[in-house]
Amino acid sequence: MSETTIISTSNLNLWYHEKHALQSVSMKIPKNKVTALIGPSGCGKSTLLRCFNRLNDLIDQVKITGEITLDNENIHAPDTDVVSLRKKVGMVFQKPNPFPKSIWENVAYGPKVHGVKEKCELDRIVEQSLRHAAIWDEVRDRLNDSALGLSGGQQQRLCIARTLAVEPEVILMDEPCSALDPIATAKIENLIELLKEEYTVIIVTHNMQQAARVSDYTGFMYLGKLIECGKTEQIFEHPKEDLTENYITGRFG
Amino acid sequence: MAEKFHTDLKALKKDTVAMAQLGRTMLRDSVDALVRQDKELAVSVVARKDKIHAMEVKLEEHCYQMIALNQPMAKDMRVIACTLKVITASVRIGRYGKSIANTVSDLSTKPHIANIMSIPHMAELVIDMVDDSVKAYETESLALIADFSARDDTIDALRHSIFREAITYMMEDPKKITRCTHYIMVARYLERCADHSCKIAENVHYMNTGERIEIH
Repeated sequence: MSETTIISTSNLNLWYHEKHALQSVSMKIPKNKVTALIGPSGCGKSTLLRCFNRLNDLIDQVKITGEITLDNENIHAPDTDVVSLRKKVGMVFQKPNPFPKSIWENVAYGPKVHGVKEKCELDRIVEQSLRHAAIWDEVRDRLNDSALGLSGGQQQRLCIARTLAVEPEVILMDEPCSALDPIATAKIENLIELLKEEYTVIIVTHNMQQAARVSDYTGFMYLGKLIECGKTEQIFEHPKEDLTENYITGRFG
Repeated sequence: MAEKFHTDLKALKKDTVAMAQLGRTMLRDSVDALVRQDKELAVSVVARKDKIHAMEVKLEEHCYQMIALNQPMAKDMRVIACTLKVITASVRIGRYGKSIANTVSDLSTKPHIANIMSIPHMAELVIDMVDDSVKAYETESLALIADFSARDDTIDALRHSIFREAITYMMEDPKKITRCTHYIMVARYLERCADHSCKIAENVHYMNTGERIEIH
């Protein structure tokens, strides 16, 4: 990969209790690109994703060895501020999870936590974030309505707007479309294409066609190992490894 | 579902091989009809064009349906991409057979000039190439097509030799111009069939390896 690397893992291992869930994963995530992680259920793709913003820290009895760097800085260094790391590395989950508050409050929440107090500045951030998440036109007249009244697809775009409001560098997406219908999915996929101009996106998806459509790079994982990682067109047209070939042609998984 | 897809893919390949064999037999029979001046056989070759066309439509539809319904990837995608090329090449080979068969009635009124020159020999080499390329598609054996570049050079040299020889006969006797022109055209059709077998070979290589090659 000739692009600038934003996240790099080196010999990353992770254990949940006795289970060796990630095994010597070394990969580079290029900046301002979309990288997809694919693989059968339980292969470690979500676990790997959650390493990038140290979300696995919240789980008991997790042991991690190896190194992960963000902008060439070790995210496990003792002086790393996890809150600031998670500001830089935002996340969108499988099921849309808006706060039970107004649309405006949902987006303004992050900037408020990070110290923005002026109403006009918060208004600016809310509008900009909702615009970037391609949902502004649909909600501009009802910013004070509850976010729970939005459709599933709108809720998911609101969650993306909420992530964008704290100006992250990287957006992690864990199966962001699996709870959505095809039209809402298409909107999120279009949005991912726009987001990579300013952000780096890492997406976990079980939908290989989606990985092929939206990503520039694809990593295939199997039983905790990164089997192959390369340009998406290479992975889907002529993968180097037989395991990858067998998985993407539906012979297992 | 993947199992059903792969069973379907095998059936598609089998049908495509059957179609390729029809194209190949049209070519084979047209050359035999020409050499033996057998007008009846020539008519039967021409009559087969509707059948090969119908197979082309049916198999292409099958490919498009498999793409639309399964979004194949990696080797599965390459097999279908290659199959579409084999279908097209096979129709062309069959149609060149038909074009050769169309010359038979004009060329059956008198004995062949110069024992029809090197056309039968050239036809044998071309049909071998067609057979090997289709076999390579069927069995995924790259060994069968490894020497296609050199074989294609031989075919080009034979076409050129037939062209020069025919020109000589035409210069000697203008009454031979019509018939020699037919011979030149037949050599040209055979050379095009060899080119189509090279196209099949290139696509079989892509199907197996994911890498593109060009056979000159």
